Amino acid sequence: MIIEIGEFTRVEGNGRAEVIVEDGEVRKVKLKIIEGPRFFELLTLGRHFYDVPDLEARICAICYLAHSTASVMAIERAFDVEVPEEIQLLRELGLLGEFLESHALHLYLLAMPDLFGYPDAIRMATRHGELVREGLAIKAFGNYIRELIGGREIHGINVKPGGFGRYPSVRELETIERRSESLIRFARRAASTFASQEPMGAKAELFVATDGYLFGDELVASDGERFHYTEIEEHSLEYSFAKQSLYRGKPFFVGALARLIIKGDQLTPIARKLLEEHWEKLSTGYVTYNNLAQAIELVYALERVAEIARTLLDRGIQGENVPIEVREGEGIGYVEAPRGVLVHHYRIDSGGRVTFSNIITPTAFNHAMIELSLFEEAKRRYGELPEMEFVQRLEEVVRAFDPCISCSVHVVRL
Amino acid sequence: MMEKLRLGVFELTDCGGCALNLLFLYEKFFDVLEFYEITEFHMATSIKEKGPLDIALVTGTVSTQRDLDLLREARNRAKYLIALGTCATHGSLQASVEGRIRDRLERVYGTRANPMKALESKPVTDYVPVDYALPGCPYDKEELFQVLMEIAKGVEPVRKDYPVCLECKLNEYECVFLKRNIPCLGPVTYGGCNAPCVRSGLGCIGCRGPLPGANLPGHVEVLRSLGLDDEEIARKLRTFARWEP
Repeated sequence: MIIEIGEFTRVEGNGRAEVIVEDGEVRKVKLKIIEGPRFFELLTLGRHFYDVPDLEARICAICYLAHSTASVMAIERAFDVEVPEEIQLLRELGLLGEFLESHALHLYLLAMPDLFGYPDAIRMATRHGELVREGLAIKAFGNYIRELIGGREIHGINVKPGGFGRYPSVRELETIERRSESLIRFARRAASTFASQEPMGAKAELFVATDGYLFGDELVASDGERFHYTEIEEHSLEYSFAKQSLYRGKPFFVGALARLIIKGDQLTPIARKLLEEHWEKLSTGYVTYNNLAQAIELVYALERVAEIARTLLDRGIQGENVPIEVREGEGIGYVEAPRGVLVHHYRIDSGGRVTFSNIITPTAFNHAMIELSLFEEAKRRYGELPEMEFVQRLEEVVRAFDPCISCSVHVVRL
Repeated sequence: MMEKLRLGVFELTDCGGCALNLLFLYEKFFDVLEFYEITEFHMATSIKEKGPLDIALVTGTVSTQRDLDLLREARNRAKYLIALGTCATHGSLQASVEGRIRDRLERVYGTRANPMKALESKPVTDYVPVDYALPGCPYDKEELFQVLMEIAKGVEPVRKDYPVCLECKLNEYECVFLKRNIPCLGPVTYGGCNAPCVRSGLGCIGCRGPLPGANLPGHVEVLRSLGLDDEEIARKLRTFARWEP
């Protein structure tokens, strides 16, 4: 017997799943990524490097800045360009804005209705309008930052190799500092709301993240190993447009929970206190605690955004781009997208054209772990819950990963 | 009280931005809900009501058989269909990838087999008649808000028919093309975005698609004079739409 889970709702992109039951037991779960393939790596081949970050941004609307930043970092590494701290801080600011926008979307509009028993945030708003509006306020603030750094709420082209098209003004930075502090209270409430969620899915045993909190030079695993993404094996599946990734033959988890477990010591003060408060739950590794981890990251992002704005205001903005000298080279950009590790890897020829391009997105890294989590939850609940509730429960497990299905469908090694 | 119009959002293959942008209306989204009842929108709600629709918003390209089936369903059920965003109106990036689909599948998945029924990516407008096309990667959310309000009031929305340049002039942005020799597709691109790229001091990349009647050959000549070779110009023009010079 096969139990079909129709197209997942309240997730980004199109996916479904199949639970295969034999002799009254769940034998296998297939996670089917049915979103059409988008072939972004092929699209970038032969392109001039300067245009590439704008194209790669279009992989995903929810985390377009993570894509353009990873792309720009890979290009700069290929040309051996170092950018000054000011540019790094502004990039970090943009990525934090994206965390706020993306986590708020996921937590308040997609995941929270499950906690209160509603089919969506619109209906949830009739009884819990306050919470929905708090979420929208955080999301709007995140988008304000994305527009400022990225040039537009979605798919801006302001992030460029060597710097930016336009730099923020003193007044804009003051606005950021002021508004972020007023929102921390809301984010703390989100953390206590999600702390009540019961654990579901698999207990992840291995987590992977970049070495810095939002970007870095290589990857680190929760067992302490440092490595490049090429250590991760990918394979195709006949039932999915997204490939699966394994590290040392095993599924692993990337995302907010992985970051807190590996890099919790890098958090800002209030976020760190929340982490300690909820450590007992988070450290079990249950993937559904990714929701709680994202809520703690909202607090982190709000605190850190104010810190960065203050630093930049104190030192003043120079607004100078680093000139780029074109030459043959190769570079990898590692960024933490809201959903986890994102990799962009290019080779560029002496004319500045891209000759090799490889992108692996967080949902592709998590693909095997999502499937495993569905399997574990299905085994646990099959026969115990009526079919409709069973299916809903499995959808909730998928949602906790905050999967970004449309990003995941073009992972390739060319 | 006036009966609300039934609205469905249908997402084909894309980045999710055009569906998401609707939620980015924030408080104005609640204004939309005064006139519309959303009966399906899989990114935002687990409710799925079948039945006739007043408006279908369709985002993304047709890139799989599943997309095509969903598009036909949306067309059959809706009185008024809006192709929303450049994927739906012009094909956008994924339709500009070169090579045949089986070759591409082989390069990415290591096999020419096509069990998931991928198709060549094409815009919605290639398959079904649409009542309104709103381009943009992403489209301007204020423009969508206006279009939805006009339809709710029984007014047929008018399509913008001027280039991005006009919006630069209205905003008093410095012309990056004339003043700084930065390649810009503003003169030949549909306006309506409010020129955010030029506001950042960068050239328009043409994400709203080609403006009919614009002097494309003349613009190509100017781009050449900035030192761009024909290959690069062609790629710039083909990124979001199939421009016909």
